[in-house]
Amino acid sequence: MKGTPMIPRMIVGSIVMMFLLALPASAGGKAELQKYFSDAAGKVKATENPSEKREILSQSLQTMSKALDIVQNTTAISSSDGIGLIRFKAAIQEKQDELAGLNGYARVSDGQLNAFSDYVVQDMEQADQVVTISLVSLLLIILLIVLILR
Amino acid sequence: MRDSHNRSPKAAPCSIFFVGVCCAGLAVVLSSCGPGVSLQREAQQATGEAPATPYSIVCVIHGDGDYLYHDTSGNAYTADEQALSGAQTVALENPHAEVFIFHQRPRKHFLFVFPVRDGDFYYYRNGRLIAHEPYWRDQEQSSFESEAGLYHRFRLANQRGIARLFLYCGHEIPEFAGAGYDASYPDRAFTVRDFAAGVQRLTGESSKFDVLILSACFSGTPHTVGLLGHYARYVVASPENLHLSYFDLHALERLDLGARDGDIAAFAVGFARQAFERLTESIQTAVSVAVYDMDQVQGFVDSVRPGYDRMLAALNANTQVSNATAEQCDCADIPAYVLPAMSQGVEVFYRAARFGRLTHKQSHSGWECWRERGSQPAASQSTVPMAK
Repeated sequence: MKGTPMIPRMIVGSIVMMFLLALPASAGGKAELQKYFSDAAGKVKATENPSEKREILSQSLQTMSKALDIVQNTTAISSSDGIGLIRFKAAIQEKQDELAGLNGYARVSDGQLNAFSDYVVQDMEQADQVVTISLVSLLLIILLIVLILR
Repeated sequence: MRDSHNRSPKAAPCSIFFVGVCCAGLAVVLSSCGPGVSLQREAQQATGEAPATPYSIVCVIHGDGDYLYHDTSGNAYTADEQALSGAQTVALENPHAEVFIFHQRPRKHFLFVFPVRDGDFYYYRNGRLIAHEPYWRDQEQSSFESEAGLYHRFRLANQRGIARLFLYCGHEIPEFAGAGYDASYPDRAFTVRDFAAGVQRLTGESSKFDVLILSACFSGTPHTVGLLGHYARYVVASPENLHLSYFDLHALERLDLGARDGDIAAFAVGFARQAFERLTESIQTAVSVAVYDMDQVQGFVDSVRPGYDRMLAALNANTQVSNATAEQCDCADIPAYVLPAMSQGVEVFYRAARFGRLTHKQSHSGWECWRERGSQPAASQSTVPMAK
C-alpha cells in the first residue's frame, strides 16, 4: 500500500516534535539554530580538505534555506514572523552568495573557510532578525531541518 | 466499594510525612517572599572600620532573554553568566572598591505556582563579599527601582572623591517600541528612556557616573548617548553589533586611577582599546568600541536631535512596519548628520567585518543612525568587496 510509509514518518515526526517542544522555554528555540551553525563550523574545522569544508558550509546553508522556504509558505505564520523570516532568509542568502562568489562577492578563499564558518555562527548569534521570530516558527524550522537531513 | 478505613496503617505516617514536606516547602517559599534574606550583611557594620574605598562600580547584568553564544571551539556559553563571573572577579580583585552586581534573571515559579525572586544582588567591598540576596525586579514599569533601593541602602555614605563606574551588559536597549526586552515580561516595554530613568535613580539628581559602559549592541547613537550623557562624564559604547562575549572586563580589575578628569579620560580610552583588542582576536563580524566625552559631544547631539527624534517618532508609529523597513547604519552615511562637530569628543576603535558587504568599510564615525532599509548611498553599493 502506498500510504503505509507515511505512518512511521509521522510517528518519527511526532517524536521529534515532542522532543523539540520539551526544550527549555528559556532557550526559545534560538539555541537550537545556533547549535546547528556551530556544529557545522565544528565539522568544517575538523576536516583538512577545502572541498569538503566548502561542501559542509554550502549544505548547512542550503538546508536552512530550504527549511525557511517551507515555513515561509505556511499560511499560519504571523506577519511579524513573516518579516523576521524574510530577513533571516536574506542573511542566509548573502552567506551562500559570498561562499560561492555570486552577486558581486569575491568567492571565499580556501584558506578562509574556517574563519568564514565562525563568521556565520557569530553573525547568526547577533542577528536581530532571529529575535523577532516566534518560538513556534523557530521550532518548525528546527523540525524541518531534522527531517530534511534524514 | 473500597472502605477508606481499611487502608494500611503505614498510610498515616506517609500522609503526615507528605504534609510535613509540603508545609516545609511552602514555608521556604513564603519566607523567601519576605524582605531582606541576606547570606551576609556586614555593610553597615563595616562602614566605620573599612580602609579607603576610592572606587565604586555598579554592574547591571540583564539575563532575561536569549543569551547563548558559542566560541570558536564550539563551546556554548550563556552571556549573562559569563558577565556575572567576570564582574565577580572584578569585585574580588579590587582591594579598594565597592562593587554592586545586579543579575536580572528570568522569572521562575516554585511548583509552577509560587513566583520566586528574579534578581540576584551581590555587594562587595574591598575585595570581600559583604551581601548576597535575591530580590524582586520591578514588576510593572522597569526603571531599576528595586536596584536603586539596594544601591542606596548599601553604598558608602560619603561618595566624595570616589571614581564611580557603571556597567550594563545586555541586548541592544531599544530606542522605540521595546516590548519583550524582558522575556519574562513580554508585554512590558523597556526603552532607552526607561534605562536612563533607572540610571538617574542610581546617580541622584546632582551627581554623575565618571564612566558609563554600555556592553550592548547599537548603543552609540545620538539618542542613547545623548540621554545617558546627562548622568555620566564619559560613555563607552558600541555603535554597531557587539558580540555576546561583551567587553573584556580585565581593565576593571585592580583599578588604579585617580578621580581627576585626565585620569578618567585615559581610563575610559584604555578600557575601550583593551575591549576592542580582545574582541578582534576571535570575532569575524564588525567590532566597534567608542568613547564619548560628554562635555564635547553635547554640541553634536543637540544639533542632530530634532531630526533623530522625528525619525524615532516615525518608527514608533508603526513598529511592525519599522522592523521590516528600517535598519541601522553609520550616521556618516547620512548627509544630514555629517557636521563639523561629528568627530569632536569621540574616540573610535573600529574594524570592519571580515566577511559580508561591508568589509571595505575603513572607519566608523562612532555614531549609529536609522535609515530606510536598502537606502544606502550609491557609493557604498558600488564598493562591494571583490578581494579578500
